[in-house]
Amino acid sequence: MVSNRARRLLPAIAMWGLAAVVAFLILFPLWWIFISSITPAGELFAKPIKYWPAHPTLESYRFLIENVGLLAKIRDTLIIVGLSILIGMIVSVMAAFSFSRFRSKGLSLAVAFLLASMLIPDVVTARPLYDFLRYVHLYDTYAGLIVLYISGILPFSILILQNYLNDIPVSIEESASIDGCGFVQSMWYVTLPLLRPALATVCIVNFITCLNNFFTPLFYSNGISVLSTAITQLPLRDNMYAVPWDLVSAMGWIIILPIIVFVAFFQRQIMEGIMAGGVKG
Amino acid sequence: MYANKKYLTIAWILVLPALLIRFFTTLYPIADTFRISFFEVKLLQGIHRFVGFRNYVDMFQDDKMIASISFTVLFVVGSMAGHLILGIALALILNMKFAGQKVLRTIVLLPWAMPMVVIAMASKWAFNNDYGLVNNFIRWFDPSFQMNWLIHTGTARNAVIAVDLWKDLPFFAILVLAGLQFISSDMYEAAKIDGAGSVQSFFAITLPLLSKNILVLSIFFTMWRMTSFDIVYAMTSGGPGESTALVAYRVTTEAFTNLNTGYAASIAIVLFLVMAALSGLSMSAAKRVDY
Repeated sequence: MVSNRARRLLPAIAMWGLAAVVAFLILFPLWWIFISSITPAGELFAKPIKYWPAHPTLESYRFLIENVGLLAKIRDTLIIVGLSILIGMIVSVMAAFSFSRFRSKGLSLAVAFLLASMLIPDVVTARPLYDFLRYVHLYDTYAGLIVLYISGILPFSILILQNYLNDIPVSIEESASIDGCGFVQSMWYVTLPLLRPALATVCIVNFITCLNNFFTPLFYSNGISVLSTAITQLPLRDNMYAVPWDLVSAMGWIIILPIIVFVAFFQRQIMEGIMAGGVKG
Repeated sequence: MYANKKYLTIAWILVLPALLIRFFTTLYPIADTFRISFFEVKLLQGIHRFVGFRNYVDMFQDDKMIASISFTVLFVVGSMAGHLILGIALALILNMKFAGQKVLRTIVLLPWAMPMVVIAMASKWAFNNDYGLVNNFIRWFDPSFQMNWLIHTGTARNAVIAVDLWKDLPFFAILVLAGLQFISSDMYEAAKIDGAGSVQSFFAITLPLLSKNILVLSIFFTMWRMTSFDIVYAMTSGGPGESTALVAYRVTTEAFTNLNTGYAASIAIVLFLVMAALSGLSMSAAKRVDY
């Protein structure tokens, strides 16, 4: 009897044990970053680490807002990320629609180019792109950054949307056209509503991609500062240590917290999005 | 209905914005990188002259470059080995049927969703000898442990690989999980009836069926490792010395700090060619793996 019970319980204990180890390895560092951000700077030099501060404080956050211009950085980040997602979405829907509905040799070539261009890494294009942006006066401008952010999300978005569109039968648009819908009308009233789940997935994944973009703002902007680059440019409080850990942890948590909420909220769509992108490669 | 020729104009108008953006942000600059890789460019002195393949030859006599190449190889191989072994293990854990499955998957998504630069900045402090999280954790088991990870070549390199694994391995596992879910449970039932244990059916069913999926994933993850930049920029700045300066980091340092743009371009082109060759070869290998 006992061994029977043990046989049923043992796998359950093993599963929860493994899950606990994985969860610990991921969550514990994040918890530590949070705790560091509410610990007074002096208390951070404690050995061993105190996982709850003696005098919790929001001083680091106050410093970021008053002396580092945190709110302006949040505003800039939201403007750039928001507009990139919106315009990127319009551009990708148009292209995906065209690739899914029309056939010609030239269009196949265009698809091949878009896919192949994913292979070109950021570092390989960095210097000429920088010089080019300076030349056309787009360096360190919202417009320039937004175009680059959009460029980064286009191939993935077009790929996913095109796959999804291929599954929507053309006959639906044909009957709309027979009912007197023009091209634009049928796209707006018939195709787009059907595309809504795919649009949501692509938006959510693009939000994460844009928010995490570090390379673009680092090299193609200077005055405009988004959150991801700002964390590397925090002022040193004293010269003893290379990292102003009190500020870095606070800044880190400001970036991490919305992401945690976002992931928890959209877990299903994110899984679908990255799996759709991943399986197709 | 869209077969009509008059629609082809509409088709091109619709794709034009996407094509223009991608052209000016990828194709044009890489062509320019290729061109200036044959020039000696010293922006400060106003030098700009054709030197043929000299940049390419210099690269392999440059100690910094050799350090970069050797670490990049180590980083890619070490990190990918970790991804494959631990990633498949984690995918199996995520595939377990138990009440915590959904929460666990959400937790595992978190490292992927965060910017590498935040993780790398935190790691700089986490690997500090006295006040860092890593040593504090090790001291729970070995109270006298001392190690200043980021100031020695070997340990700094391992630390960078470890952080890379923490950040991206969960994502790899989720993509492997996607493949796992396409394997029908009938196969496991059949194997069970034939008397196969779970270890046997893992090696006889799961691994072979996943092999193509894993191979394709590995190609992408290898390419991303080869162009990794953020992690060493924020965590080690390429140090100690040049020992963790990945090739991508070397390119940006030469191009933007040393203003040696011709030389930087030649490194970038070699990196791109190696990537293109590798991905081409492995893609054709992936096509041949068929289950």
